[in-house]
Amino acid sequence: MNATERMNAAINLKPVDRVPNAPFYEAPICTYFGSTFRAALLEDQAMADAHLAALDEFRFDWVMVGMGLIGGIIPEALDCEVSFPEDVFPVIEKTTVESMKDVERIAKADVHTDRMERFLKGVSILKKELKGEVPIACEYISPFTIATRLRGTNEIMADMYDNPELVHTLQDALVPLDIEIGRALIEAGVDYIFYGADMECPLLISPNHYRELVHEPTAKVVNELSRLGARVLPHMCGDIIKAGIVDMLLETDISGIMPGNLTQASVLDLRELKEKVGDRTCIFDNINPNGPLLIGKPEEVATETRAHLEKAGGMSGYIFSTSGTTSPNTPRENFEAMNREVLNFQWA
Amino acid sequence: MAIEDIFEAVLTFNKVAVAEGVKAELDAGTEIDSILNEALIGALDVVGKKFSEGEMFVPEMLQAAKAMKAGLEVLKPYLRSESVASKGTVIIGTVKGDQHDIGKNLVAMMIEGAGFEVVDMGVNVDADRFVKAVSEHNAGVLCLSALLTTTMPAMENAVAVIKKSGLAVKTIIGGAPVTVTFADQVGADGYSDDAPSAVELVRKLMAT
Ligand code: B12
Repeated sequence: MNATERMNAAINLKPVDRVPNAPFYEAPICTYFGSTFRAALLEDQAMADAHLAALDEFRFDWVMVGMGLIGGIIPEALDCEVSFPEDVFPVIEKTTVESMKDVERIAKADVHTDRMERFLKGVSILKKELKGEVPIACEYISPFTIATRLRGTNEIMADMYDNPELVHTLQDALVPLDIEIGRALIEAGVDYIFYGADMECPLLISPNHYRELVHEPTAKVVNELSRLGARVLPHMCGDIIKAGIVDMLLETDISGIMPGNLTQASVLDLRELKEKVGDRTCIFDNINPNGPLLIGKPEEVATETRAHLEKAGGMSGYIFSTSGTTSPNTPRENFEAMNREVLNFQWA
Repeated sequence: MAIEDIFEAVLTFNKVAVAEGVKAELDAGTEIDSILNEALIGALDVVGKKFSEGEMFVPEMLQAAKAMKAGLEVLKPYLRSESVASKGTVIIGTVKGDQHDIGKNLVAMMIEGAGFEVVDMGVNVDADRFVKAVSEHNAGVLCLSALLTTTMPAMENAVAVIKKSGLAVKTIIGGAPVTVTFADQVGADGYSDDAPSAVELVRKLMAT
């Protein structure tokens, strides 16, 4: 099987020749292979070169781009002031929405900025080079999460009680813009949309608020991107089973779920999630990017990786991954240890 | 209205009821100390715990804090003339390169709720600005937050710069990827993993 066949088989819950290997690898490989961290995140050729070099060495089953897109390019296209430091993630210097009036301005934004076009060009270069043998995944953010970036997190969190109308209206304005970004990504060659729902996770807002404010815009974007031909894979931290969010996501056209976590204490149990979703959708594993992978020794990384693979125990629709962004400071020998385990693993 | 009603009004985010309750208690001659500690600070403590246990969320924390502040506003003129004035100044901020502030804001809110003067420097703050603020406000404790592993070195640097400045301030650090081992390694004076325990830590350090 090539990577595309392997990933598609797993997504469709069909047999695979080995565990698909799809970590969030972008930040470390920008450090290992980028001309600079910033260039590899944002600039067409530098980005494509870094990913192709990484693929050669690590034989991932997907190419995963988009950290610079969600962290900088999208907020900038929607009028935020953003700085793009050389060796760390982009920084939003100034938010842009203070009142309803600003929402009207945002609604008219043209998302096709120069930086956006360069990013899309990077995706096209990768698409051409990969010849359909390796799928491309791109990070992406939900209307609610974009709203917090444009207005400020505290402000949106306060609006949820003081001015819910603004939260609705801003998201309504963002839905078509978000879809337009998704459409452009798909047209450039993105196969999987990695739907980051950071701010609506059950660590931060209540299930009731999710249902009231977030479910509908999510369904609109997810369903449209799926109709346009992408596989949409939502990613969220916290106990999404208990909060009832898995049920709501399953009402939309998703193709997989990736639970996030930051500490091992807050890991969502994969077996429990499998029981919940059954044969409805595939599951991405959630190995902790800030645990042994970042601060341990290669042997510890190998042990933890193997424990995850064994726990998955041949379940259908299982894809190995990390629970979120791996750090750009991940020691290379640790990353190699994780990768080796996955590539060589066979279930008994 | 009794102390319990004010407490309850904070938990149900009822700003008007909190302000009226505090006023009524003042008129009735209730001790300022007990209005502050039992009703206002007590309620916010409960809110912090509920958040840590996943029973309350960020929007609810913000509303409860606003309700509590409505009560504090009424109390403030009396606080100055009494012995229960501010317990000292705390500077807080998220380190350079990092924009995560939800956790930091909750910590700030709870420390303020516990009766300390809090100067919140916001996000993406470099070490020199922290030094300046500490000396300007004569702060007793400096709280640093970081959520990215990439910005933990900036945290280490901030602790080092503060130490080198010779200012008599205690530095405590936190944020999801930060650990007690890291705190020891960089020579911070304290670490805690959630807002209620951050308040305890500040209380302890201010007392020494
Ligand atoms: C919300 C969030 C965001 C929001 C932040 C909004 C805001 N205004 O804060 C947004 C969407 C903007 C964001 C952006 C990014 N994020 Co982010 N984010 C998160 C998320 C989902 C939750 C963090 C949070 O608020 N938790 C809730 C609060 C209450 O908890 P807390 O912060 O830990 O605080 C508590 C304690 O730690 C403690 N505490 C906190 N500070 C202090 C300080 C002191 C002194 C003390 C004593 C205690 C203390 O008390 C708090 C209350 O109990 C985490 C994932 C996760 N599960 O944690 C990722 C996460 C932190 N983000 C991550 C990343 C990668 C990013 C981006 C780079 C993404 C991108 N491509 O742009 C950018 C970085 C931007 C920048 N330059 O900073 C990664 C970090 C990975 C790493 N290895 O470093 C995480 C872990 C997600 C992941 N695995 O992919 N993010």
